[in-house]
Amino acid sequence: MLSSIAKPFAALALAAALISIVLAALGASPLGVFAALGEGAFGSWYACVDTIVKSTPLIFTGLAVSLAFSGALWNIGADGQLTIGAIAAGAVGTHLGDFPHSIAIATILAAGALGGAVWGGIAGWLRARRDVNEVISTIMLNFVAVQALSWVVHGPLMEPSRAYPTSSPIAPAAQLEFYFAPSRLNLGMLLAVVLAAACYMLLFNTSTGFELRAMGRNRRAATFFGIRIPALTVWAMALSGALAGLGGAVQVSAISHRLYEKLSPGWGFEAIAVALVARLNPLGIIPAALLFGALDNGSQAMQRTQGISPELVQVIQGLVILIILAFDTPAWGGLRENIFGASGDDAAAVPPVAEMPDA
Amino acid sequence: MLEAFLVSVITMATPILLAALGELLVEESGVVNIGIEGAMLAGAFGALTIAYFSGSTALGLAGAIAAGVAINAIFAVLVVNLAVNQVVTGTAVSILALGFTGVFYRKLFGVTGSAFMVAPIAKIPLGALARIPLLGPVLFDHNALVYFTFLLVPALWYVIARTRYGLRLRACGERPEAADALGLGVIATRWQALLVSGALTGLAGAFLTLAYANTFVENISAGRGFVALSVVIVGRWNSWGLAAASLLFGAAMALQFGLQALGTVVPYQLFLALPYALTLVVLAAFGGQAAAPSALGEPYRRQ
Amino acid sequence: MLRANAITKRFGRTLALDGVDFEALPGEIHALVGENGAGKTTLMKVLSGSLAPDNGQAVLDERPLQAGSPRAALEAGIAAVHQSPMLFERMTWEENLALGGFDPGAELLDLAAVATRARALAAKLGFELPPGGITIENRSVAERVRLEVLRALSFNPRVLILDEPTSVLGPSELAAFLDLLRNLRGEGRIVVLITHKLAEAIAVADRVTVLRRGRVVARTTPAETSEEQLAGLMIGEIVIQPDAAAARSHTGAPVLQIENLALADHTGRRILDGLSFRVSAGEIAGIAGVDGNGQTELVELLAGVRKPSDGKVTSRGAMSVIPQNRDLDGLILDMRLWENLILARPLREQVTLHGWLNASRAIGLCRELIERFRIRAPGPDTLASALSGGNRQRLEVARAISSQPRVIVAHNICRGLDLVATAEVHRRILDFAAGGGAVLLISSDLDELLAICGRLLIISGGKIRETNPGDRDPQRLGLLMAGARD
Repeated sequence: MLSSIAKPFAALALAAALISIVLAALGASPLGVFAALGEGAFGSWYACVDTIVKSTPLIFTGLAVSLAFSGALWNIGADGQLTIGAIAAGAVGTHLGDFPHSIAIATILAAGALGGAVWGGIAGWLRARRDVNEVISTIMLNFVAVQALSWVVHGPLMEPSRAYPTSSPIAPAAQLEFYFAPSRLNLGMLLAVVLAAACYMLLFNTSTGFELRAMGRNRRAATFFGIRIPALTVWAMALSGALAGLGGAVQVSAISHRLYEKLSPGWGFEAIAVALVARLNPLGIIPAALLFGALDNGSQAMQRTQGISPELVQVIQGLVILIILAFDTPAWGGLRENIFGASGDDAAAVPPVAEMPDA
Repeated sequence: MLEAFLVSVITMATPILLAALGELLVEESGVVNIGIEGAMLAGAFGALTIAYFSGSTALGLAGAIAAGVAINAIFAVLVVNLAVNQVVTGTAVSILALGFTGVFYRKLFGVTGSAFMVAPIAKIPLGALARIPLLGPVLFDHNALVYFTFLLVPALWYVIARTRYGLRLRACGERPEAADALGLGVIATRWQALLVSGALTGLAGAFLTLAYANTFVENISAGRGFVALSVVIVGRWNSWGLAAASLLFGAAMALQFGLQALGTVVPYQLFLALPYALTLVVLAAFGGQAAAPSALGEPYRRQ
Repeated sequence: MLRANAITKRFGRTLALDGVDFEALPGEIHALVGENGAGKTTLMKVLSGSLAPDNGQAVLDERPLQAGSPRAALEAGIAAVHQSPMLFERMTWEENLALGGFDPGAELLDLAAVATRARALAAKLGFELPPGGITIENRSVAERVRLEVLRALSFNPRVLILDEPTSVLGPSELAAFLDLLRNLRGEGRIVVLITHKLAEAIAVADRVTVLRRGRVVARTTPAETSEEQLAGLMIGEIVIQPDAAAARSHTGAPVLQIENLALADHTGRRILDGLSFRVSAGEIAGIAGVDGNGQTELVELLAGVRKPSDGKVTSRGAMSVIPQNRDLDGLILDMRLWENLILARPLREQVTLHGWLNASRAIGLCRELIERFRIRAPGPDTLASALSGGNRQRLEVARAISSQPRVIVAHNICRGLDLVATAEVHRRILDFAAGGGAVLLISSDLDELLAICGRLLIISGGKIRETNPGDRDPQRLGLLMAGARD
C-alpha cells in the first residue's frame, strides 16, 4: 500500500529531475520554472480556485480513461468524446432558455453524456463486432471530432452575426453559475468528485465492475467463465465516452458558455497521465487531476515570466507516464499487481492446440 | 487537373507509406509502436531545424534520422527491455515528442510562430520517362525520398519473405519464447527493427517539412503516423498491401485540396475528416487482427 | 560428457534447483525423472542455455558452457526439445526447419534445399514429412513433436535433451519414438530424456537420475530398480490411492446429454463430428484421447464459449468446467484468490445482491474454501500467481465443487500435478460422484482414467465411441485412441 503511493511520488521526482535537465538545455532556470509553476497554480486564492477549475475536465476524462483501461480497452479518444459531448451540449444549450434552471442543467449534461457515449460506443462496437483495434479507432475518431466541431462553429451552430467562428451562447438557465465570483468555482467539480466515488464503487463493488476488471486482466479466462466480452466492451466504451462527454458539457455549461475550435487543449491525452498516476483507481484520479491541473494553470505564469512555452507541460506528461511505466515493470521487482506489462509468471505447461474465439 | 491530383496522391502517400513500412518491420517482430506519430513529428522537426541552421538538405535528412531513431530508442528501452505495455508507452512517447518539438520550436524560432522556410528537396526527374504525358510527372518526377519509399516496397517484401533476417523477424513476432530458445535473440531483433523504423519514420517526417510544407508548424504530422498504423493493418502486414492502402489514404488526403479548390457546397471539414473517417470504414470492413503476427503487442520478457 | 556442477536456481522465493550435480555420457540414454515441479525442466533449461543458473555451471567435454545463451549451447552442440511447443504456427514446416541447422549461415533462404535435407533425415529416422508449403497450424500434435525433434537434430548435436516428449504421444507412436531414441544413442550421441513416466524411463534408459524438490535423491540403472521404487524416490512418501470401486456403478438419471454435437471450422473441416453420449448422476465417465482430437473444442462448447455448428448440449442443472490450461483460462493470476473464486457465476451470484458485490462475503467464502480444500495460501487476499501449481489446481477444484453443480467437466485435470495432489483431486472427484454428481473427465492420461472412471469413451478425429465395460486393456485402448477401427 505504501509503495503504491510512494511510486507516483518517486516518478514525479524523477520527472522533475529530467525536466530540469531539459530546461537547463533551453537556457532557463529550473528553479525559476518550478517556482513560476507553483506560483501560477497556488500563489493566490484565485489561482488555487482556478487550479480546481482547470482540474475538473481532467477528472472527467481521467475517469473515462481509467475505467476503460481497467478493462484493457485502450481508449485514446477521450478528447474526441469530450468534444462531441461539448457539441451536443452546445447545440442543446441554446434552446434551453425557457426551462427551469435545474432541468436545463440536467438536460445539457445529459446531452453531453449521450454524445460522448455514442462516440465511445462506436469504437466499442468496432472492437466488439469488427475486431478493430480501439487504439486506432479512437484516435481516428478524435480527428473526426475536431472537424465536426470546426464544421458546427463555422456552419449550423455559428453565431448569428457570422463574424466569429463560435456558436451562440447557451441559455443562462443552462449555465452552471460561479460561486465566490470573480472566481470560476462551479458545481462541476463537485459533480466530478461524486462521479469519481461512483466509478470507484462501480469498479470494485459491483458484479459488472468485477467483470470489467476480469476482462482487463485476462480476457481468455473471462470468456471461459461466461463473461460476455462483446457486450461488455461496447458498454464500457460507451460509459467511458459518456464520462468524457460529461466533462465537455460541464466545460461548456460552466466555463466557455459557447462552442469554439480547439475546445480541448488535449485533456484526453493528459487524462492518460492522470489515470496512470492514479494507478487506475477512480478515487486517485482526484489528486492526480489536481496535480496536472496545477501544472496546466501554472504553465501560463511560466510562459510569462520564464519564456518557456506551455508545451513543456506535455513533456512533463509524457515523462511521467514513461517513468511510472518503467517503475512498474516486474523486471525491477515491481508490483506483480500490474496490468501494464508482462506478468512475472511463466505460461502454463501445455497450451491448447486450437485458439479460443471471442464468443 | 487530373495530373495535379495524381501527383498529389503520390506526395500525400509517401510519408505515410514510408512510416508504415518501418512499422511493418516492427510489427513483424511483435511490437506495436503507437509512438510512430511522435517519431514522425520529431523527424519533421529535426529535419527542419538542422536544414535551416546548416543550410544543407542532406544534413537535415540526417537530423531527421537521428531524431526518429532517438524517439524509437526511448520506446525500445521501455517496451523491449522492460516489457511494459506497448500501447500506453507509445502514446506517452507521442505526447512527449509533441511537447518537445513544441517547446524547442518556440525557443528556437520565437513565440510568434512565423514560419521559417527552408528550401525544398530537389526533384529528380527521371530523364525521358518524366516527359511521358500524364504518367511522366506522376511517376517519374519526384524527389529522392519518393523514389526511395516506393523502391522500398519490393525490397522489404523480399527481405521479410525470402531472407534469413526476415525469417528471424517473423519468428520473434510469432512466438518470442521459441525464437529465444533457438538463439535468435528476440531483444536484439526487436531493437534493430525499432531503430531501422525510427530512421524510416524520421525520414517520413523529413518529407513533411522538407518536401511538402517547407516549414514546421505545431503538430505538422496531424495524425499521419496513426494513419500509418492503420495502413499496416489494412495492408494485411504485406508490403504490397501497404503500398495500396497508402495510395488509398493519399488519395483521400489529396481529395481535400482538389475539391476545396472546386469550391463545392460541401463543407471543407468533411474533406479534412475524410482520411480519418475512411480509415475507420476500411478498418471496419477489412481491419481484423486475424492476419497479425501472433504475438503482436504482447509484452515479452526472457525468463 | 555433459556435466552439470552444483547448479542452483531460484525463482523469487522458490528454490527450483539446490546444488544439483548431473552427468551424462556419450552413447547413453539418461533418464531424468521426477515429479512435476521437481526441477527437471529448470535443469534442462540451464543445460540448454535458456536459463542462467544462480550458481554452478554446465560443462560439455570439460569446457564450461556460457550461461544463459541458447545460441552458445547450440553452437557447443546441445539441442533441446522443450515441453511447450516451440514451433511457429503460421510458418511453413520448411521455414520452421530453416531456423534449425539445415541451412546455416546463408542469408538468402533456400527452402527447397532445407526440405530435401529434412526429408532425407526424416527418412533415416523412419517417418515422413508433409507436402511442401504446409503451415504448422493444423498439424497433429505427434507430427509437431517429430518436427521439433527433427529441427533439434538438424543442428547435428552431440547432446539431445528431450523434455516430456511422450506426454502427447499415443501408445503406438510411443514405441516408434523410443526406437528413435535408441538409434540416436547408437550414433554416439548423448540423449537426456526427461520424463515422469517411469515405465518408459525403465524401458529405454541406461541410467536414471531422480530429482525431488530441486535435489538429486538417487542415481541408478533400470536393472537395479523398479517402477515402484522410483515412484517412492520421486515422491518420498507412501500414497494411498483412492478406492475407485464405488465409481463403477452408476444408477442415476442422465444429467448431461450430448446429442449429435458437431463443430466445423471456417474451412469446413469437422473438428467434432456427430458426438452423442450421456453422463448419469453418480457416474464418472472418461473420454480418453490423444491431445488435438477435438477435446479442447468440446470443453469450450460445454463451457459455452463456442457455439456448435449442429446438435445440442442439455444439462439438468449447473455445470462447472475446469479447463486444461489452468493459468491461461482457469485463473486470473494477477487477481486475488477470492476474486478468482467469484469468476464462477454461481458463486458470484451468491455474494451479489441486485448487482452489488459484497466483497467481505466473498472473502469469507474464500477463507472457508481454503480451509476445506486445504489450499496452501496465506489468505484470501493472496494473488493467484503466488500459489504453486498444485495449489492453483486445488483452488480450481474447490471453485468447481463449491459452485454446487450437477455436472463437473474437467480437462486434463491432473496434468502437471504431483502424485499427492493428483490423489487428492481424484478423491474430491470420487466424493463428488458419490454425493450424486456427474463427472466427465477428459484426459490423455489413460492410467488416470482407468483408475477412477466407471465408463470410458474414446475420442479420435472428432468422433466418439463407447468402449465395452470389461475392455480395459491399455494396448487395445491405445490403438483405439490412435484411430484404429475395431
